[in-house]
Amino acid sequence: MSLFSFVSIGNADVNFAGKTVTWVVPFKEGGGTSRFARFIQPFLKKYLPGNPDVQIMHIPGGGAIKGSNYFEKNAKADGTFIFGCSTSVIVNVATGNPLVKYNLSEYRPVVLLPQNTHWFTRSDLAEPHDLSKIKERKLVLYALKTPASADLFHIWIYEKLGIKGAKPIPGLSSSGGYQAFLRGEIHLSSHGAANYVKKVKPEIEKGKVVDLMTLGIIGADGSVSRNPLAPNAPTFPEMYEKVNGKKLEGDDLEAYYAIGAAWSQASKAMMLPADASDEIVKAYRDAAIKMTNDPEFKAKAVKALGPFPLIIGEEAGEIIKKAAVFSDTTKKQLNAALKKHKFTYRVQ
Amino acid sequence: MEQLLAALFQLFEPTHLAFLFAGTLLGLIVGILPGMGGTSGLALVLPFVFTMEPSHALAMMIGVLAPTTTSDTFPAVLMGVPGTAGSQATVMDGFPLSKKGMAARALSAAFSASLLGGIFGAFILSISIYYAIPIIMAFGFGEQFLLVVLALLMVGALTGDNLFKGIASCFLGLIIGSIGTAPITGDPRYTFNTLYLLEGVPLVVVGLGLFAIPEIVGLLDSKGSIAKSLNTKKGWFTGLKDVVKNWFLVLRCSTLGCLVGALPGLGGTVVDWIAYSHLKQTTKDTSQFGKGDIRGVIAPESANNAKEGGALIPTLIFGIPGSGNKVLLLGGFVLIGIEPGLDMVTTNLDLTYLMIWSLAIANILGAGICMGFSSQISKFTLVPYYILAPVMVCLIFFATFNINRDWYDFIGLLSFGIIGITFKNFGWSRPALLIGFFLSSKVELLSYQTQAVYGLSFLSRPVSIILIILCLATIVLLTKQKFDNNYRSDLIKGKLTQIYYIVILLCLPLSMIWFTSSLDYRANLFPISLSVIALSLLVFILIVKIADLKNLPFLNNTLMKFARSNIFEISGNFNNQLFYYLSFIGFLLMNFIFGFPIAAALFINMFILFHNRKAYVSSICISAALMVILWALSSLLTLQFPNGLIGLFVDLPWWLGGQLN
Repeated sequence: MSLFSFVSIGNADVNFAGKTVTWVVPFKEGGGTSRFARFIQPFLKKYLPGNPDVQIMHIPGGGAIKGSNYFEKNAKADGTFIFGCSTSVIVNVATGNPLVKYNLSEYRPVVLLPQNTHWFTRSDLAEPHDLSKIKERKLVLYALKTPASADLFHIWIYEKLGIKGAKPIPGLSSSGGYQAFLRGEIHLSSHGAANYVKKVKPEIEKGKVVDLMTLGIIGADGSVSRNPLAPNAPTFPEMYEKVNGKKLEGDDLEAYYAIGAAWSQASKAMMLPADASDEIVKAYRDAAIKMTNDPEFKAKAVKALGPFPLIIGEEAGEIIKKAAVFSDTTKKQLNAALKKHKFTYRVQ
Repeated sequence: MEQLLAALFQLFEPTHLAFLFAGTLLGLIVGILPGMGGTSGLALVLPFVFTMEPSHALAMMIGVLAPTTTSDTFPAVLMGVPGTAGSQATVMDGFPLSKKGMAARALSAAFSASLLGGIFGAFILSISIYYAIPIIMAFGFGEQFLLVVLALLMVGALTGDNLFKGIASCFLGLIIGSIGTAPITGDPRYTFNTLYLLEGVPLVVVGLGLFAIPEIVGLLDSKGSIAKSLNTKKGWFTGLKDVVKNWFLVLRCSTLGCLVGALPGLGGTVVDWIAYSHLKQTTKDTSQFGKGDIRGVIAPESANNAKEGGALIPTLIFGIPGSGNKVLLLGGFVLIGIEPGLDMVTTNLDLTYLMIWSLAIANILGAGICMGFSSQISKFTLVPYYILAPVMVCLIFFATFNINRDWYDFIGLLSFGIIGITFKNFGWSRPALLIGFFLSSKVELLSYQTQAVYGLSFLSRPVSIILIILCLATIVLLTKQKFDNNYRSDLIKGKLTQIYYIVILLCLPLSMIWFTSSLDYRANLFPISLSVIALSLLVFILIVKIADLKNLPFLNNTLMKFARSNIFEISGNFNNQLFYYLSFIGFLLMNFIFGFPIAAALFINMFILFHNRKAYVSSICISAALMVILWALSSLLTLQFPNGLIGLFVDLPWWLGGQLN
């Protein structure tokens, strides 16, 4: 934090007094990105110089592509337009969807809201934090909404952990998948932090479900720490090392960072257009830092946004670049996993 | 139990009550407008509820849904026209009572029976929730698949006048529902490389197009049928006494309504008739039925309100809608982020109880308002339709635009509008089309999921066997029941149009096969199998129609007689309705040119003045009020209305279609 404190001295050049900031959210009202935007909205008005009105404009459709393309085409660089980004917006770019017309990796991120994924199984199928029994099974079913979404990363994860019997059941949302998991129809399941606390924790306490691992919290220096919500569960790199007998490195580590950036670190984001000036970006980042120190924000943030602290500043830009531009080796790895499971969909 | 009470307290917060009340009022109005029912009402509010908190949105949606079958009694009794499909049986004795000057007695009996039925339904629903967890756990992919098939079969068979046309409607709905990204492989199906079709057609567009537009043109066409006299002053107490005297009938019919409503696919349009025939079978003296027997009002009214509670059971725990309006309710769940299933009885139990309480209280509110303000409300039946219609069209356009803020949705709306009009006129089933459309992706996914987990072994699981027996029994019962009806082929004109119409319908499955045949088999297996079944059904219907037209002798054996019944429909003034429909296209063109707000004002004035040159005061007042509402909404919700070409040349305020900022 001390790094930021000296930049937060008032900025005379940027003033939004009397202006209206339009926050384009490429999703429906009520979704996660919309809730994120609506939670931040009043604080943004409070801390941006000149206290502009902030209006949220929802443009859903086309798997978030419509609203994102709209932003690329219509956003002005003067700070009156901001963009609500999420994992699916990033995955559209990273996987090379031909309909994408927005240049996400050049956008100037202000705030990133991280998220984390938990994996778990039934207690009769495995010991906690141990994949050995799962790996022996001939058939390990898991839910997969569609390969053209962030769920694609599940295929890669199970592949790298050497779960040979892993077979995706298509078209199951995480909630529908969890229901099928409780009915005993599928073997592995996963949830984000909020649903993990709400739905999975009670079953773990009852002894019906056991933790396997979490994706892990990736720090600015690339170190990976355990998820505070399940501190005993190993992270993916730990599990990888245990299973494969070698550290996660090379192409696999690169792919993990890319997936982690898209799926976890930049789960939700607020961004300025690519050509926004440094002054405007700084004014926004200053406002965001002031927001995180606001007592009202501190009181409500954990409940509304989850337990992971916001990422603000230059490192956010690095994360977005990593998330939005998959290297050729990462793409090759993902496509190999897709091909193995006979999906026709390919990362471009 | 704790949550049950907590939900009640939550509901009594002023904001909740306000949303519930607003929903109830809207539901009452929608119920009174003949032909408009819960489906159209929900389709209208759906584009707005997702800006709200989930609990508010639920209160509002239930508020709209619950009282439509209460207030629909007004037109049923006063005009002899059912206000919604659920009050057709009420007309049988309600209208004769009204002609005898006993309208007030009929209304008060109907409202109190509705009230009791509605509360009974809510009560049964709250009990069933306790037993839902084991049921959900017993229904795996295979059982759910069979349940959906059962639902589709029943809807197709029951909502169409002709069994084959009903089931064909179902399959056409399933085919339309398969448009968009293939769920297994992610291939685009039938999208013509457009972004719009990638996610399929929005549910609200389909709902409004299929239900609201045909009803509006139908009523414009029928013109008259406005209540002549409104003698609703005396006899309120008699009606109440009638209900108390027949308490056992109310109980029986409510139970019946609940049960029938809970069967997936069966709820909705038939429950009032089932109650009415139950009444006839259990009564010794049937001489007064059809001539003004008060029991003929009490029985269907208690049943059609009780069914709402019953129909919510499969809707909440399996996500399988029992009727058209439940499809829209489920669409609303998706919008506000609620997924039906286990969550509804575990983590979201508070919301479920909130819905149950809303249902009970909306019923009380609805019946209370109907009784307390009956003379004011019944005046609604006096408003000429040429004044209501353009306002409703503007409302529908506004709601449509709010779904995705997309011009293409208007084209979708008008396309499904013409499908709805033709379906209604030519005797095809709109509810079956809608439910097929909604369940399409579910059927496809469940079939893959079942195959992946069980293979064919799911068929030998005990619940599956029960469901298969139910399916077969339904078919047998239906064929028996539908054998005896008195279809008179010789009374029907315009048969050729209806034959040509099938040729147009054939284009859908044919083009679906054509466009998807080059895809991976996991992407095209489902739409192509559906198309093949739909093609064979349509060709069969075509043959029967041609044979009926030429009066060929092979139709006279018993089996073909069954296929022949109601193969043609008496199609009203189809051309008139087409004319009104064209005026909506004119409105769309005006939107392109002037933008929505200005076009709406122009349309309302032109439409009203075209019908009645002297009504300029109302037309100007209505359009002015609309402009004020649009302006207020635009500043409250940051809505940009569809902007027309004119905005490119003239500097207009933002909300009229000018430039942003």
